[in-house]
Amino acid sequence: MELIIRNRKYIFLGLFPAVSLYVVFVVYPIVRSFFYGFYEWNGLGEPVYIGLKNFQDILTDNIFWLSFKNNIFIVVASILGQIPIGLILAVILNSSLKGAGFFRSVFFVPMILSTVVVGLLWSTILNSQMGVLNHVLKSIGLESLALDWLGNPDIAMYTVCAVIVWQFVGLYMIIFLAAIQNIPPDIIEAASIDGANEIRKFFSITLPMLWPTVMTAVVLCISGSMRSFDLVFVMTQGGPANATELMATYMYNKTFSVYKYGYGSAVSLVIFVISFGFILISQSLMRRKNSDQ
Amino acid sequence: MEKAIKQNRGGELLLRLRKKFRRFMLYLLLCLFGITTAYPLLWMVYTSFKSNQDISMNTLALPTKLHFENYAEAWQTARIGEYFFNSIIVAVVSIIFTVLLGASAAFILSKFKFRLRRLIYTSFIIGMLIPLQSILVPLFIQMRSLKLLDSLWSLILSYTAFGLPIAIFILESFIRALPNEIMESAVIDGSSVPRSFFKLILPMSRPAIASVTILSFLNNWKEFSFALIFISDEAKKTLPLGLYNFLGAETNNYAGLTAALVISSIPVLIMYLFMQEQVINGMTAGAVKG
Repeated sequence: MELIIRNRKYIFLGLFPAVSLYVVFVVYPIVRSFFYGFYEWNGLGEPVYIGLKNFQDILTDNIFWLSFKNNIFIVVASILGQIPIGLILAVILNSSLKGAGFFRSVFFVPMILSTVVVGLLWSTILNSQMGVLNHVLKSIGLESLALDWLGNPDIAMYTVCAVIVWQFVGLYMIIFLAAIQNIPPDIIEAASIDGANEIRKFFSITLPMLWPTVMTAVVLCISGSMRSFDLVFVMTQGGPANATELMATYMYNKTFSVYKYGYGSAVSLVIFVISFGFILISQSLMRRKNSDQ
Repeated sequence: MEKAIKQNRGGELLLRLRKKFRRFMLYLLLCLFGITTAYPLLWMVYTSFKSNQDISMNTLALPTKLHFENYAEAWQTARIGEYFFNSIIVAVVSIIFTVLLGASAAFILSKFKFRLRRLIYTSFIIGMLIPLQSILVPLFIQMRSLKLLDSLWSLILSYTAFGLPIAIFILESFIRALPNEIMESAVIDGSSVPRSFFKLILPMSRPAIASVTILSFLNNWKEFSFALIFISDEAKKTLPLGLYNFLGAETNNYAGLTAALVISSIPVLIMYLFMQEQVINGMTAGAVKG
């Protein structure tokens, strides 16, 4: 047996297909983007080495910083939107109401749909002239609230975040529901006997016991939000007037609309570093929190 | 004495009322959230059966007559049928690749001993953390130099490569938990290692393979960014990409658009209907681990 589990031929045969595909389509492109990040290249001619100029340009481009700010905005909106709503839904669904299972199924549906479907659906609903939302608002006399939801640069970002929360809240609900169901019931029973009311029980038992899960959810919000691209690309393409520009849409526009491949690679690298930085920071914060307990 | 009982009854009544009121408030809250979630989707479904004229006159009303021709039109004229077919090919072929390559790598990583084991496993797992968008440009350049742009292979290969980390994560822990004696006795009985992999390990890993399949299908069916940059040929577009074009071309054809949105959601909704728990668990695990 020892001979077999050290047999090089089998090890090679079993691993080669997966590893080679992974190297060709994941590892090597990342390494290559390191390389192109230092070049000026329109995608066709010879790349020209320009040192750190791409990175300098990125870090001095106001639109890049705007897109960075918008990414942070989505992170904050997800944390403040998805986590509280998901938590409220989970607590309600856990209180043995009739039909809880049905509601649980409904809340998760947006998660399984393609982001493109969600984006197109909401674009039509939010359309300022023909959309359902403004139609309803006008018919109940709230004409003043019937805004140009995606066309007004001042509110487009809020609209986009609302749709993101709408799509992903079911995921957080499920995560919290699973965690709540793991809380030993005798603790809560003991509190009931001591006369604690529901709100008291939530804040002094459920929430502290869920804290690690809340931190996981925060990390999830951060990594998920740093990745957002599809929804914004479908709904606004970063517009109007860069109001909803994200790092990923910025990179897309720079690379595929104006053919600056070197610059686009450099932006990819910056996104890579920023996302990893955020994930590492949030995970180490989480670990410290956990070891405190 | 009688007074005390009366008071007690009053108190009980109050308690019951309060309980009822609490229940009512909870339901109210649930229904509010429920309607916010479900109404847009229901609107999408019933609007897909209305004529365009009907939609612009009565945006909210239910259809008076079912216009099935919206579906026929979307399928044919808007080429949704073609996109649908492409999406199926890409999703199915990449699932087969992901499962086969993932399982064989997971098998080696969990049951064999060699020096690079830890390194290879870790580099796959790190792959779960890589944001797709950060490698769009380099991957585009890679596909172009491999002459794979505008071919379904660009999608199949990249979906497989990006599906491998989570697949290996799920399968490795599952196969590791299978007792070593299974393969040992098979080998002693004269079965070769590849044969025992296909005849024993794969069938025994069915639950893990099911999770990987569900997760890859959902991810591949939704995927948009790779398709957007790799594919520009109409005949090779997958559904998310085809839908996106649909809007650009016919902004006011809500009947066709909603029909197309419904068509492209039907496979995942059917999957959800029949395998709800696996879908929810798979997606939650995928998100939390990734």
